Amino acid sequence: MLFILHFALFTLHFALFDGSRERFPTMSPQQSDSEIPHSGTIEFEFDGHRVRAESGQSVAGALHVAGEHIVSRSFKYHRPRGLLCMSGRCPNCLCTVDGTPNVRICTQAAKPGMVVKSQNAWPSVKFDLLRIFDKLHRFMPVGFYYKRMYKPRWMWPVWEKFIRRIAGLGTINREHGAEGVYDKQNLFTDVAVIGGGIAGLNAALAAAEAGVTVTLIDEQPALGGHLRHDPDLACHGSVSRAKTEHTADTAVALGVNVSPSDAQDINDLIRRVTEHPAITVISSAGVFGCYEGNFLGIQQGKRMIRLRAAQVIVASGCWERPLVFENNDLPGVMLASGVQRLLHLDHCQFPGEAVVVTDNAQGYRVAKQLKAAGTRITAIVDVRDNPPEMADGIRVFRGHTIISANGSRHVSGAVIAPLAGHPRQSLSCRWIVQAVGFTPANSLLYQNGCKLRYDESVDQAVVVQHAPAMYSAGAVNALHNPRAAALDGQRAGAAAASEVSGTALAAGRDERQPHSSPAASAVPLSQSSLSCHYVSPSGAKKKFVCLCEDVTEKDICDAIDEGYSNIETLKRYSTVSMGPCQGKMCQSASIAICARHNGQSIAETGVTTARPPEQPLPLGVLAGRALHFSLVRRTPMHAWHEKAGAKMGDAGNWKRPQVYSSITQEYEAVRQRAGLIDVSTLGKIELRGADVVKFLEFIYPNRFANLKAGRVRYGVICDDAGILLDDGTIARLGEDRFFLTTTTGNADAIDSWFRWWLAGRPEWDVRMTNVSGSYAAMNLAGPRSREVLKKLTDADLSSDAMPYLVASECKIAGVSAIVLRIGFVGELGYEIHVPSQFGLHVWEAILEAGREFSIAPFGLEAQRVLRLEKKHLLPGIDTDALSNPLEADLPWIVKLDKEDFIGKESLARAQQRGDRNKLVGFRLSESVLPDLASLVLCDGKLGGRITSCGYSPAIGGTIGLAWVPANLARNGQTIQIQVNGRLIPAVVQDEPFYDPSGSKLKS
Amino acid sequence: MVAQRMWQEHELKDQYDVVIIGGGVHGLATAYYLTQLGVRNIAVLEAKYVGFGGSGRNTAIVRSNYRTPEGIAFYDLSVKLYEQLAADLEFNVMFSQHGHLTLAHNEKGVTGLTERANTNQLMGVNSRIIFPEEIQRIVPDLNVFGHSRFPIQAALYHPPGGIIRHDAVVWAFARGVDRGGGHVHQKTEVTGIEVQNGQVEAVVTNRGRIKTKAVLNATAGYAGIISRMVGLEIPIETHPLQAAVTEPLKPFLNSVIVSSTLHVYVSQTDRGELVLGAEVDDHASYSLRGTLSFLEGAATHLLELFPHLANVKILRQWAGLCDMTPDYSPIMGGTPDVKGFLMTVGWGTYGFKAGPASGYLMAELIASGKTPPKLEPFALTRFYEDRLVGEKAAASVSH
Repeated sequence: MLFILHFALFTLHFALFDGSRERFPTMSPQQSDSEIPHSGTIEFEFDGHRVRAESGQSVAGALHVAGEHIVSRSFKYHRPRGLLCMSGRCPNCLCTVDGTPNVRICTQAAKPGMVVKSQNAWPSVKFDLLRIFDKLHRFMPVGFYYKRMYKPRWMWPVWEKFIRRIAGLGTINREHGAEGVYDKQNLFTDVAVIGGGIAGLNAALAAAEAGVTVTLIDEQPALGGHLRHDPDLACHGSVSRAKTEHTADTAVALGVNVSPSDAQDINDLIRRVTEHPAITVISSAGVFGCYEGNFLGIQQGKRMIRLRAAQVIVASGCWERPLVFENNDLPGVMLASGVQRLLHLDHCQFPGEAVVVTDNAQGYRVAKQLKAAGTRITAIVDVRDNPPEMADGIRVFRGHTIISANGSRHVSGAVIAPLAGHPRQSLSCRWIVQAVGFTPANSLLYQNGCKLRYDESVDQAVVVQHAPAMYSAGAVNALHNPRAAALDGQRAGAAAASEVSGTALAAGRDERQPHSSPAASAVPLSQSSLSCHYVSPSGAKKKFVCLCEDVTEKDICDAIDEGYSNIETLKRYSTVSMGPCQGKMCQSASIAICARHNGQSIAETGVTTARPPEQPLPLGVLAGRALHFSLVRRTPMHAWHEKAGAKMGDAGNWKRPQVYSSITQEYEAVRQRAGLIDVSTLGKIELRGADVVKFLEFIYPNRFANLKAGRVRYGVICDDAGILLDDGTIARLGEDRFFLTTTTGNADAIDSWFRWWLAGRPEWDVRMTNVSGSYAAMNLAGPRSREVLKKLTDADLSSDAMPYLVASECKIAGVSAIVLRIGFVGELGYEIHVPSQFGLHVWEAILEAGREFSIAPFGLEAQRVLRLEKKHLLPGIDTDALSNPLEADLPWIVKLDKEDFIGKESLARAQQRGDRNKLVGFRLSESVLPDLASLVLCDGKLGGRITSCGYSPAIGGTIGLAWVPANLARNGQTIQIQVNGRLIPAVVQDEPFYDPSGSKLKS
Repeated sequence: MVAQRMWQEHELKDQYDVVIIGGGVHGLATAYYLTQLGVRNIAVLEAKYVGFGGSGRNTAIVRSNYRTPEGIAFYDLSVKLYEQLAADLEFNVMFSQHGHLTLAHNEKGVTGLTERANTNQLMGVNSRIIFPEEIQRIVPDLNVFGHSRFPIQAALYHPPGGIIRHDAVVWAFARGVDRGGGHVHQKTEVTGIEVQNGQVEAVVTNRGRIKTKAVLNATAGYAGIISRMVGLEIPIETHPLQAAVTEPLKPFLNSVIVSSTLHVYVSQTDRGELVLGAEVDDHASYSLRGTLSFLEGAATHLLELFPHLANVKILRQWAGLCDMTPDYSPIMGGTPDVKGFLMTVGWGTYGFKAGPASGYLMAELIASGKTPPKLEPFALTRFYEDRLVGEKAAASVSH
């Protein structure tokens, strides 16, 4: 408790301290006004104040112009965070937009009236009291929560309550849900090309020109890849910092006969792709998953596209990775490509001075682009000793790296030093721009089972074995030079097309691999300072590896020292790469640090498993329009039931009448006159063929060989373990023609069950048709039902002509019908199946014909009592996953002398060991109605449970079915049922409670 | 400060008193409780790294509101052991007992839950049926009264249920084994088991041969393969089970919510992520690849329960392997056919919540040679004697 008090004081103190820091001078709104054309400006709200944006500008770009450089607070330490990648990958710009939490505002176009709020800060993003945690980091080392807060035991719930108050990022808004139309689309293509950069464009064109259909998916709103934000890339060469560079010349030397000039005019290339009739371009769309069988999941706004592709070419490129140095998370520290996107796509500027840290040509390009936009470049800090690039008069520190960023809420300077670490010097700057290489976007390759291996010579993982029907091209193959990427794309496109059309492109060569295999031309590194590209020499301040989770380099090393040395265990313990960016920013560095600290190579260290989705994916997009996920099934008589005022209930997806008037009135109609119930929801299967009898003998424990044409029989279905799955009737309509019913709930399961067993017996002549939806069905029951039906048919319904268990086909009310003389409710009855479209007609005709007998429709609730009086069980209600027919009071149904049937062995064994539990009928001694599933107790221990019960008018008391130990399953035995904590005696009864002889049923 | 290592790396000895195959919660818990009983010359062999399999892939739900008296007694022991685990192992495993709700959307569901509530109460487990008003009070964000295809009718409320930090449990047990004198060998794969005259004699690994008289099969996914090494067939079918996690959100959901009608369950971690899952995939498979249809189904069903989560984003999905037995209960104990071969397998979708109880009782069995009464119902022989422990109704989607 004392600690909490201290904590509170410390918080207050620190808040004042933090708040008194100099606020970084930013452009005044007037200034920015003068730089943005007035036409087409819009306004939105950020944390309560208005911000102007150029139309088409991103929210992040507008905030940059407005001088709002702190856009979020970090997950653990609540440090200020600013724009970094500008490509929708890093976690820094997550805000709540119009009530939706965790939106990346760098890829979100600003819209008029939009309400943007910063997250994870209190009271505000500029002034966050919880930044106290940044100062308390000593008390919160990696995994500290595993080591504290559990003693004494009651402390954890107290701490947890506190933790749950501050955890998480965005807040859910209970008033906000799905908005607009979520949609799904299914597409098919010969070749899917993922990525609209140089490699992807060339791949698409090459494949299309070879005569196959191509779908090109690109995540940006316009094609062009890196050329969109790095226009000088095409003329200046590579974005790679790799030691060995694969050039177009090597690719040409290896035999691709195309002109490298294809890559040079990007606009011409884009035009040719978009105008090609065989190419479909899907823009602003991300492929989030490559599932089994080249099944691509694509998100395009609120639409999900499921694309099945014969061949997939992954030309997804790469994203820039940050460097690990002290205070590397300060607002003002940006990736070079992020700076370029703000410059060229959002038309922003970077007033003040900038330091560019680099080890490749891109650093020089961004420096020149910044300079041209008015930024003063203090220096280029180049890790290399002899860079080939020209600096155009900018000061270059060769063989240097950055040690630290200075500043509290924004960069105010940089400390740099030679690679050895000394001497250090400070440079004044507002921006630190990092251009230190790329992480390939290869997760779709991993997802689909391609084998990749880290290749030191190109400093990235490359494919050593492709998954079937999958290709890779461009930067994912370590081909960062535009010309080489173009040729690689053409190779992959031509190869994929030839595989689709079945023509080999060039005999004897594996077209899956890039021709200039990076592994083949690998050269050993002269200086093994790879990790220093990611990680600057150690220092006192925090060096962030994982921005999502605030994991520092020290945290990773500490975790490894504690024994979490495996990359997967390290991830789970330190939480590195587990946040919203899923490792996109930290993967390269965390692996490098893990490798260095373990004394292993990067290849030995491995990578964590790539899992879909590749980018965060909204639940609403996954759900699509199916917000109320299952369709409602209605019988042909549904409207009639509703009009008659029936109370409807769910039965699986079906709606069924529960009760029309009252259970008592409906019960009386059936027992004394006639009643009609809609049973259209029953599963119905038609079987035809010479071997149907053989099949039925195998499926059912009953015997069917002796079932004559024109007869119907009750049957149950068991599984291998002899467990009762379902029941129903089997009617033999002709020699080779059978009509089966299943229960409503199991209709689909039994359909699958039959198909499963039939699939293994192709030699059997059994043709199966599921006719559940084709037939409407109704059950006419009661002592007057024969007289009712007689009015509607010419068929002879007399008990001699149509006795109990006869199946006949005749016309009812002018409609061809299958009529089964069966009686679930224990009266003279007819189950009538007619084509669905005539269901309502026949239903109304029967009710009309029965009017003179005071016929009444009855619902499920009355039926439940009626059948209970007959002790007819309901599978799944009166039975469970351990019930066999022997114990479920149906021993007569099991014919163990049959040659074979499903469950025979188990049932034989069960019969041998004797019954353990039995399903019995009981009469309760008191007039109470216990809940279903009330327990049967024997000497205070669990003996069984009741499965059905209800008031029986025939008995004048409560009756039911219950599972009891076999020794109690004797007629007249008293059992104890627990009702509201009280034991109530009940008496077991063997006979049905109504018409035990069955004379009414058979009349 | 010199970091204390969680566990040491050892040379593989050529003899151990007990060899445990599988470095997940069951193997490590058994090893830990063995060291507590004074059996210290033991080795846990893990082919990959500790917690690679189901122990690292499960959704960390702990509860004891099962259906059968045997199941309830067993899982209740596990909950009690979990409650004291942090203190026993001096490691915060973050057991959050914020309650577990199983929803019923139809009459059959209500009946099934009522039966469980009645049986739970009979066995002394805190569990009861609650109705919509109370459900809404406990979970304000749940769509109880709004439009729904299958409105919520009741729930089985189990206050001691909750979630735990599954990786922490595994690491803490591994450290406990290490401190107790046992060896945890990672990257050590078993390639064979030698049996002579019906008695286990040795285990062969990729790092060498180990003489031993007692082997415990504590694997999942591979349980059948290990058993076949001693010529034993066990009734197990392996199905993938998938799960997914969202981005972190400010915590709004404290309880675990399960709906078997909607085939979905969800909880929110202390980091703010929603963890969601469904039932096992229909068809037997060893594939660890997730499917799109799982994500679509889970999302659709989750939005039925929480419509305002439509813009919440999934961060990743994964799959694990579940060894399903015919009665949805595990197989624990020895076999009369091969002396010295023991197993704690067939843990289906309910293994993690049982880890401590399984380890505690298996350790007792191994140390004393006598089967503890709580273990007896789960013997392999039950499949030959038709004495199944039917937990399907309480275990299938009800994580």
